[in-house]
Amino acid sequence: MSIGAAPGPRTIAERVSRLNWGIITLLCALAIVGVLMHFSVANSGARLDMPMTHGLRFALLLVIAVTAAMFLDTRFWLAISYPLYAGALLLLLAVEFVGETRMGATRWLSIGPVSLQPSEFMKVGIVLALAKYYMQIGPRRAGAVLWSLPPFLAIIAPVALVMHQPDLGTAMLIMFAGLATMFLAGLSWWIVGSGMVLGAIGAWFAYNYVLHPYQRDRVDVFLGLSSDPLGAGYHVLQSKIAIGSAGLFGRGYLQGSQAQLDFLPEKHTDFIFTMIVEEFGLIGGAVVLLLFGALMALAMQVALRARTMFSKLAAASVAAMLASYVLINTAMVIGLVPVVGIPLPMVSFGGTAMMTLMVGFCIVLSIDLHKDAHGSRGWLW
Amino acid sequence: MKRGKKVGSTLPKRDVNVIFSRRAALMSFVGVGAIGAVITRMAHLQATNLFSQEYSNAADENRFDTRIVAPPRGVIYDRFGVVLAQTSKDYQVSIVRDDVEDIEAAIARVGQILGLSPVWARRAKVRVEGGPRGEPMPICEGLTWEEFNAVNVRLPELRGVIAGSADVRAYPYDIVYAHPIGYVAKPTQRDIDTAIQTEGEGASRAMYLRNPHVRVGKGGLESKLEDTLHGQAGWRKVIVNARGVEMGEDPNERRDPVRGSGVVLTLDHELQRTAMQNFAQQSGAAIVMDIVNGDLLAMASAPGFDPNHFVNGIGREEFAALNTDEMKPLFHKAVTGLYAPGSTFKMMVGIAAKQAGVSDDWSVSCPGYFPYGGRNFHCWRREGHGRVNLHDAIKHSCDVYFYQAALQAGPDRIAAVSRKFGLGEHFDVGVPNILDGWVPDPVSWRERRNEGWTGGLTLNYGIGQGALQVSPLQLAVMAARLGNNGRAVVPRLVREAPGVSEPTPPPIIDGIEPEFLARVRDGMFGVCNEPGGTATRAGALELVRDPQTGASVQRTSENSGWQPVQIAGKTGTAQVRALTDATRGRHFSTIEWRYRDNALFCCFGPWHEPRYACAVIVEHGGAGSAVPGPIAREIMGAALLRDPSRRAPASLAALEPPARSQA
Repeated sequence: MSIGAAPGPRTIAERVSRLNWGIITLLCALAIVGVLMHFSVANSGARLDMPMTHGLRFALLLVIAVTAAMFLDTRFWLAISYPLYAGALLLLLAVEFVGETRMGATRWLSIGPVSLQPSEFMKVGIVLALAKYYMQIGPRRAGAVLWSLPPFLAIIAPVALVMHQPDLGTAMLIMFAGLATMFLAGLSWWIVGSGMVLGAIGAWFAYNYVLHPYQRDRVDVFLGLSSDPLGAGYHVLQSKIAIGSAGLFGRGYLQGSQAQLDFLPEKHTDFIFTMIVEEFGLIGGAVVLLLFGALMALAMQVALRARTMFSKLAAASVAAMLASYVLINTAMVIGLVPVVGIPLPMVSFGGTAMMTLMVGFCIVLSIDLHKDAHGSRGWLW
Repeated sequence: MKRGKKVGSTLPKRDVNVIFSRRAALMSFVGVGAIGAVITRMAHLQATNLFSQEYSNAADENRFDTRIVAPPRGVIYDRFGVVLAQTSKDYQVSIVRDDVEDIEAAIARVGQILGLSPVWARRAKVRVEGGPRGEPMPICEGLTWEEFNAVNVRLPELRGVIAGSADVRAYPYDIVYAHPIGYVAKPTQRDIDTAIQTEGEGASRAMYLRNPHVRVGKGGLESKLEDTLHGQAGWRKVIVNARGVEMGEDPNERRDPVRGSGVVLTLDHELQRTAMQNFAQQSGAAIVMDIVNGDLLAMASAPGFDPNHFVNGIGREEFAALNTDEMKPLFHKAVTGLYAPGSTFKMMVGIAAKQAGVSDDWSVSCPGYFPYGGRNFHCWRREGHGRVNLHDAIKHSCDVYFYQAALQAGPDRIAAVSRKFGLGEHFDVGVPNILDGWVPDPVSWRERRNEGWTGGLTLNYGIGQGALQVSPLQLAVMAARLGNNGRAVVPRLVREAPGVSEPTPPPIIDGIEPEFLARVRDGMFGVCNEPGGTATRAGALELVRDPQTGASVQRTSENSGWQPVQIAGKTGTAQVRALTDATRGRHFSTIEWRYRDNALFCCFGPWHEPRYACAVIVEHGGAGSAVPGPIAREIMGAALLRDPSRRAPASLAALEPPARSQA
């Protein structure tokens, strides 16, 4: 462990000036897109307070995240990683037994007046816990099969619990974030390869022997093997109509008929990307995707510049989680992947995903700001 | 940590960094590739649309909907242009089922604002749930302006509730024309099913009928003239949201509905109203007819009902009450009611007897009964009429004379004469459910009853009883053809409408000798005007003829010297069921209503220049002279005073200028 004067930021002004303003700017840009779209949603008859709520919620979360990032350095994240994971897992277990059921899924836990979704804590928890685990076991063991077992179990346990809620989208995100951390930490290519083969065989087996006929029908609809324009296929069909008819420049702000006339379901949450494309065209959609791409790139840059394996893995996993959100959501609305309830971060209405990713970017900002600080330098094993 | 150091020492730090960097780069490439795939997929969707337009068309199909606009229905006028059935604006509250969050709550709120009952709320809920998803379904019609405003100002808090106006059929004289004009109502499920099964246009017709504002004729002329009155539906291209709620309209893509053609009837509102009023609480029918051209000036069936209640759907209790009323208010008695004509039939027997060779001075002695086939056939007057000839027999309505006259004439001849005067004939005046009755003769008797004709039947035939059944309309035609000296005038109810042509002058009935006709007409004159006639009360019109103008005027002290205006008629009393010893001789008021005799009266006038014929039937009214006679006197008096046939009638062209009907 290295000891000595750390050239980390000392004064508030210094901390502010050395913040990663690129990331903050991109987050703000995406949130502004969200406010614009929610105004458009509101214009078609829904709640007029939606754009304001969205903007204020983002601003509040951003201020908290940036402030936290200024004063908390890597040691804090290291310290809370295992407790956070363990706590989230316990809460997930609690949800299983005393959870609150809303809209057919048991995801919430009520503690007094506060409602929690423990699965969201788990998204951050799994990343931090695995990053710490790999930091602790060191790079030599990271590729070994046996040392890869605990992380696998650490991923499978929450994923299974969340799947059972059921919340396929969150389960996938936890899994992707965890697997991304393992992969970045140096998971053996043998395991990666055989995992893919096993996954494919397992999917084929499940499709043919495990799924109920109606579930198989859904998969068929997703795969385009059959059509069901009024049932499972309705959302995607309407979304494809909106995107296909939008043209290069879109129908114009507030002018998208599919969204404004409510043909597009869930337009303020999961299908907001469709609305962006319908009103601003292919170009508008591409710009939003590029904003996300730039945000991921900046987060990745933070990871590459970080000095400890923990910091690198944590920052890169946040970038991977963001990518998972964005890619699953956009691929879903254009019918490339089955419909899973995953919002477009910072743009979709709702605080859950926004808060989770804001915690993620708080970690990224903190890592970036304190990368030279005491305890953050060098390799800890 | 110690163990970590041991293992870690064999691997240089740089390698770990390289692995991480490589894998981070790899993941970034995958991410960039995935973003590229998403953009490519979007571009592919749009390129597909560029060539096939499939997504643009689908989006248009989503947002545009064609809404049917029901046309205003054609107006029905009386012969002078009085509006009898019109299309007027009605203020209504409607609910759009898919736009409302809680149907029950919305209905309850509207009910609270308008102070309506829970029964109404239940019915409204059924209506909304049975209606279209995205189009307004009326839940409350006929609002006053104040009620309409009360809902209107609260609309912002009532999502899915619409306050608007719609065209609705209105019958300003409610019960007066319930039978001849009928009413419109919502198409029934059977109408829709019938339309669906129709080849060709059936499916779109069925869709049209499901529109909540569409009404179709359900009775009387409204039903038979449906095609004329309905008009042409228009449509609007509206922008709808996913719930089908209208959000806007494309003004370039609309076709205005075309108002249905107007119809002018032969009825005279004043006479029709007089006829209905004079029935008071009684049940029956009255017809006034122009004996020259067949125009029906009044065609009343009593009691009436309010057709306005049917337009937006009649309540179950109200309908049940109408339907089970023993006076049958829903029944169009003028054409659907069949009655034994009783003594009003005696003119036919008289003519038939003359044809059979009975001479003018042939007379019979009436002791009050006529023994035949081992039993006595009674005269209505128990003490008898003494010796009577044809004239007196008609005047006194002597049954014994006509028993014997019928025997002289024979049933075939009586039937033949009756048919020439319109009895048993089908007169299509344009209303539904016209019944033709039955004028029996030995051949048709055997066909229907499968038994031989007997002399007793002939006797009953002679006084208009037995199997013989005629409608009030036929009775009026008989009176008309007697009044116009044997011209085969045919009644009509519609004066002017598309496809209706002017009637040709009626031909003279062949095989009816004018002299025979004159004899029975004289008898009918005696009935109303000579001492001892059975209807002198009905004949006392108190009208005189203005020698200058020829018009009928009320008799006053100044003009009492002028020629009186007189009518000729015949009373009739027909048994509803065979008399028993228990009821014979009892005063009619002591007998249960539905077993009392039907009372009839038919007449024509004015005697000096006949123009109008009238037939009145009062169901279970007792004697013909007592009840229908005075009613006929009032109606005929009004007809003669008013003389509607000589007034200039209204024309459709003047009532509805072509320029206006296009608007």
